[in-house]
Amino acid sequence: MVIKKITILPGRNKEGKAESQSRIDIHEGQKIGVVGPTGSGKSQLLYDIEKLAFGETKTGRKIKINDKKANKVLKIDPTRKIIGYLTQHMNFMTDTTVHNFLKTHIETRGKHRTKEETEKLIKKVISDANTITGEKIKGHTNLLVLSGGQSRALMVADLAHISESPIILIDEIENAGIRIKKALDLLIKKGKIIFLVTHDPILALDTGKRFVMKNGGINKIIYTTIREKGISNYLSWINNYILDVREEVREGKQIEELKLICSPMGGRE
Amino acid sequence: MKIVIFGGTPGSGKTSIIKFIIQELRDLKIHYVKFDVLDTTDDVLLREKFDISTEKEISGDICPDHYAALKIPEIIKRHQDKDLIIMETAGLCLRCSPYVKGGLSINVLNILAGKPSGYGPLLTDADIVVVSKGDLISQAEREIFRSKILEVNKTALIVDGNGLTGEGAIDVAEKIRKTPETGGKLTLKHSMPTAICGYCYGNKTIDSGESLKRYNLGKDLKARLPNLNCGKCGFKSCNEFIRAVLEGEAKESKCPYLKGG
Repeated sequence: MVIKKITILPGRNKEGKAESQSRIDIHEGQKIGVVGPTGSGKSQLLYDIEKLAFGETKTGRKIKINDKKANKVLKIDPTRKIIGYLTQHMNFMTDTTVHNFLKTHIETRGKHRTKEETEKLIKKVISDANTITGEKIKGHTNLLVLSGGQSRALMVADLAHISESPIILIDEIENAGIRIKKALDLLIKKGKIIFLVTHDPILALDTGKRFVMKNGGINKIIYTTIREKGISNYLSWINNYILDVREEVREGKQIEELKLICSPMGGRE
Repeated sequence: MKIVIFGGTPGSGKTSIIKFIIQELRDLKIHYVKFDVLDTTDDVLLREKFDISTEKEISGDICPDHYAALKIPEIIKRHQDKDLIIMETAGLCLRCSPYVKGGLSINVLNILAGKPSGYGPLLTDADIVVVSKGDLISQAEREIFRSKILEVNKTALIVDGNGLTGEGAIDVAEKIRKTPETGGKLTLKHSMPTAICGYCYGNKTIDSGESLKRYNLGKDLKARLPNLNCGKCGFKSCNEFIRAVLEGEAKESKCPYLKGG
């Protein structure tokens, strides 16, 4: 299913007061941040979106897809579910190799593919995951021995290529061990809409706009300035640099020098 | 009146999810029964939280599924004034299921607790499968898990449930509202196991001779008992009474209906 646009119609906050904005339209390829303290309603917002709520949840928000009320099937059938989810607690639990796991998942999605196509897709997922994590994942590695960073990288690459959910909700994913911006770029390149609950400045300042949650409702919408995007880029450079040095430490190298030069407005990925 | 039975292994998150479902159904007159093997305080918890009538039923030596089947008619009789009876029970050995035809059967299935193919009628006979703890694993594995459930139960409605946030409660509550009233004769969806060896009558020695002796004594007694499970002897069921007699803990004469001897 092609999703051009999702619309959030306002609901109520915890005090029963209506949210102030009239309607929020989000288009394909957009990244939306969701910020606010614990209990401010971030997860509930994601829940409303995941449920494709239409007034039945406690906020009373309504979610429209391509200007229409969502079809019931989209909410329930896993192969047609349009929303993918990624949270901080997620782990793999299946005792199998990365290759076999991806193969099972591809088969589960039910789309017919030849053996060669399946193998090609598996390779693509692993190689993309490896651009996100520092430590390389191999096809014959057992899923359960993957590090936290490797697991998250594989989940992102899987979401991008196999799950095909056009909307991705990301709840407080940590950037430890992964090139987080690259991970999001991978998803965005696929035309997905991303909702990010995060206070990580690299991520929050790289979205198009961010919802500031308060008391269960969307209290304010901040549009990201060019300056903020620059700051995000700069911090991302530092994060990636740390990741590089981390790999050198892992490989048993002596760290000889500290690189200090980078351009705040772009430069290194 | 409607009957909804929740079955699921211990720790699958049944009670947590039921709490959110009751919250959604506050306009109905509800009675909640918790079946457990040893002990539970969930009945008190839900009574205090929602101010509804609750009870606990402790099965003790009897299989909790058998025990539930014995108790259901009595519970229904006592609660004719209610709109909805919610029964919660742990499937013990996964060989049976506690579900009845004419009621809604809901299995709460912990996604971390093994393959769906290992569950049997607790899962395969359910009308709704609430998959709990899915927030702990990847999207990919949740999709795989769902397709594995569909392999063993093609018709169930599969709902993602979360006992912390209440996710899924709305969907289950909606389904409960649409469930028809229970009427007529209730039948179990799945038969109970054949329980006919010396061990069923309380033998503990691992010895075929001892077991056979015990079986014959038990069988004799069983034939002379009314098998009404009336409780007049002080035991919950005739089988428990037989065990106690064979153990020397009770006298045969305790049963007012005993024939011969």
